[in-house]
Amino acid sequence: MTNHPSPPKLAQQILLGFLRQDLAEEVLGDLNEQFYATLHASSPFRARLHYWYQVFNYLRPFAIRKSKSAPSNHHGMFRNDFKIAWRILSKQKMYSFIKIGGFALGIAACLLIALFIRDELGYDLHYSNGDRIYRVLKEYNDNGELGTGVDFAAPFAKALKAEFPDVEQAGRLLPHPSFGAGSNLIRRADQTENAYEEGFAYLDQETLQILQVPMVHGDPAHALDEPNTIVLSRRKATKYFADDNPVGKLMVVNDNQDRLYRIGGVMEDFPAASHLHYDFLLSLTGVEFWPGEQTNWPANNYHTYVRLRPGADAARLEANLPAIKKKYIVPGLLEAGYQDAAKMEMSLKFNLQPVGDIHLKSNGITDRLSHGDIRFVWLFGAVAGFILLLAGINFINLSTARSANRAKEVGLRKVVGSFRRHLIRQFLTESLLFSFLSFGLGIGLAWLLLPYFNVLSAKSLTFPWREWWLLPLLVLAATAIGILAGLYPSFYLSAFQPIQVLKGNLSRGSKSSTLRSGLVVFQFTTSIVLIVGTLVIHRQMGYILHKKVGFDKDQVLLIQGANSLGGKVNTFKQELLRLPRVQHVSVSEYLPIKGTNRDRNPFWKEGRTAEDKPVGGQMWVVDHDYIKTMGMQVVAGRDFSLQMPTDSQAVIINQKMAEELGLENPVGQRITNKGAIWPVIGVVEDFHFESLKENITPLVLVIGQSPSIVSVKVKTVDMAGLIQSVTGVWKQVAPHQPIRYTFLDEGYAAMYEDVQRMGRVFTSFAVLAIIVAGLGLFALSAFMVEQRRKEISIRLVLGASGYSIFGLLTQNFLKLVLLSLVLAVPMAWYGMQKWLEDFVYRIEIGWDVFLLAGLMAVLIAILTISYQSIRAALMNPVKSLRSE
Amino acid sequence: MLFSIFALQFSDKMIETKLGEFEEVLLLLAGILGQQAYAFKVAEEFQAQTARPVSIGAVHSTLTRLQEKGFLSSAMGQATAERGGRRKRIYTITAAGQRALEVARDFRVSLWNQYPAFATKLN
Repeated sequence: MTNHPSPPKLAQQILLGFLRQDLAEEVLGDLNEQFYATLHASSPFRARLHYWYQVFNYLRPFAIRKSKSAPSNHHGMFRNDFKIAWRILSKQKMYSFIKIGGFALGIAACLLIALFIRDELGYDLHYSNGDRIYRVLKEYNDNGELGTGVDFAAPFAKALKAEFPDVEQAGRLLPHPSFGAGSNLIRRADQTENAYEEGFAYLDQETLQILQVPMVHGDPAHALDEPNTIVLSRRKATKYFADDNPVGKLMVVNDNQDRLYRIGGVMEDFPAASHLHYDFLLSLTGVEFWPGEQTNWPANNYHTYVRLRPGADAARLEANLPAIKKKYIVPGLLEAGYQDAAKMEMSLKFNLQPVGDIHLKSNGITDRLSHGDIRFVWLFGAVAGFILLLAGINFINLSTARSANRAKEVGLRKVVGSFRRHLIRQFLTESLLFSFLSFGLGIGLAWLLLPYFNVLSAKSLTFPWREWWLLPLLVLAATAIGILAGLYPSFYLSAFQPIQVLKGNLSRGSKSSTLRSGLVVFQFTTSIVLIVGTLVIHRQMGYILHKKVGFDKDQVLLIQGANSLGGKVNTFKQELLRLPRVQHVSVSEYLPIKGTNRDRNPFWKEGRTAEDKPVGGQMWVVDHDYIKTMGMQVVAGRDFSLQMPTDSQAVIINQKMAEELGLENPVGQRITNKGAIWPVIGVVEDFHFESLKENITPLVLVIGQSPSIVSVKVKTVDMAGLIQSVTGVWKQVAPHQPIRYTFLDEGYAAMYEDVQRMGRVFTSFAVLAIIVAGLGLFALSAFMVEQRRKEISIRLVLGASGYSIFGLLTQNFLKLVLLSLVLAVPMAWYGMQKWLEDFVYRIEIGWDVFLLAGLMAVLIAILTISYQSIRAALMNPVKSLRSE
Repeated sequence: MLFSIFALQFSDKMIETKLGEFEEVLLLLAGILGQQAYAFKVAEEFQAQTARPVSIGAVHSTLTRLQEKGFLSSAMGQATAERGGRRKRIYTITAAGQRALEVARDFRVSLWNQYPAFATKLN
């Protein structure tokens, strides 16, 4: 055969590669004949060549195999799976609605919370070398009072840099209003109209560089290095100078013509995800608030930031930081006359807080910044997970509950040759279809609810539509959740034995009732815990708002920015007092609400400064009408009086101060803060001036000037009219300045905004959880009624009353709800007890809270079930019995 | 399966019952060859009669099309040694095919008759 030429093998193979199988025989035969015919007529080479030519001429549509013929079978199966899934969805509209709706609710909640968490975790990530930027913290033990603070002495930053080579840069930030930070009046030097602005802070040039504040105009390395320079944020620069470059121009702060601020630069607005938000940065260069202030060690006012050198070990530096106590702080304190300096500083510890941790991990640190709380992030995350879990449970519950309806289908499919694998695939397809529909709906829902959620969480979140990862992530999540939720039902349903199912032996879906009951219990336990949480938070909030706090916060108008009146503040006060419904007027910027001035001082009994430990306490500068205006109670001695000129050199203390100083009969005794010695003329009842989360601390009231807030105690039902008259008085005194006012009770409530927000969040989630659980229960009860239709009919025929049928159907579910209650009570109690521990002043969790939560759960359950139960009890038994 | 059913329905509707020139020749050749009318032989005969080269694939394709139109029917015939023991597909003209050829011929003749220059010369 060797010298007998044959058609080229390769060409044959190629031909067989693309040719339709049913044509192979005839075509190969024809080509063979052609080959030998050509061979006879000419050379073997020509014959082969011609064979190739013929092969390529078979590349015609009619002859080419449909390439997808094999996979198209799979494709068809998927189409079939999908079609069945769709039919089932549209056949059982109520179940489908509950499945998809419940799931969508869960997904919407999850998405919103995911956005929230993403935002919270995204703070302070914008620094290019953020891992080297730290805020310095100190842990102190102030006579047994433990705390963490961020305020350091003025020379502390410089000392850090001088002492530790690892510290590349160290800078200070001074945010305290008593130094002129916070809010001020400001204007261009070439204009006369003042504007009120917030967001002032004093900064070192180095701080500007450590925090890498990006500059729009001006040199980032020299923007604040000269005295009396100011850096404006871009939005404020635009406000005052439109689009001009204002560097070098002059600004006037608080109408002080003697100290003009030159604009050293314009910075980009601080990003929303930054722990700092200032608009006006004043230079600390050359600033000295009182003689010797910059070298003073006892006064701690400055926040201190450091940037370490690349490769520096923060933990090692932290361990070495106490060296600064011995070398700088103790000598500094001794110099200032604190003999027990070494002892005072003994307990002091320094920590470096990474800048990325400041937003979430500053719980318990007093730093005048508004923070997130890592615990809230965890809590929110857990709640999101739980709601998704509840929705997933509904899904699983409803899928398995309807097994009886699907059992015949499964049996028949198996009989005609379906493998279990195919059935699993079919059920998973179904679950994926549900999951994707739910996701679509959930995303829409989340998008619609986002504005409300933003109000709820006090954020301005947006969907990151433009991020490339969003869509793949959502698709991935939908797939994963679809498969996870569909796994159990698909294995459960596909396991039916066809012979039993088709004989009608299936135990009608009650097989997995233990698991289903377990899932219902889980849902209701979660709901009850959330209800209890909501109730406790609302009660604590009510307690806070109605607690006797030691002063009367109602009907007190606070007029802010009165320091701009200068010497006319007293005229203003007198004019206000002439108004008919004004009872008292007091000028003091120290108020028992957050955001007003504070001044911590050490106090001793007179002559005991060397022997006794100092008592840390507030020294509030007030006027003669303060106690009357605030409605505080003098429990011993007397109030300040204008008739007694010596009162300007006297103090009133609170009970706590008397107790801490160990004064049995404080009136008439004398106390000191080393600067002055005052006789105590009265004791005021303890009042809360910090949040109820904290204990009342010692406090001293002295007479003096602190003119930025005027408090007006009124008695009127027509607050609007009164405000109008007060505004009229203000206009007379200060025609060029806008009046700004708030109310004391609003300021008080604002201190508990986080509690209120937490309450609202809990309410929303509790409602959501209950809706989801209720939906599930509704569908389950509908299913149960359907399953027991014949039984109920027979009972009715035999004379059962509608009431007993109702009881029969309801009691099973009620048992589950009661079991949930038993489980939920200890969990809720423990959780809420933990939450309440944040508050020094708190409510007791009474048994009535649990009773109420339990009643609510039972009521909701009964209402949910009763629709189906009553329908079952009222139905005509003939209808369901006649078919047999 | 779904696809082929679909395709059949499609071609049922759109079948073109007119004959193209190439189709007409092949149909005639299939008739002439009788029991020897399979793709290779038809192609060979075509080349012999017209002296135009043609590939078996092109012929096969057209024969298939004619069969779809219902002008040809086919059945597997016997195998031979030079075909490597493979059977051939024999095409047979159907009644519809015959009618289509007649229609085509009559049409030509009628055209010829209408053309005065040729009309007299014919017959």
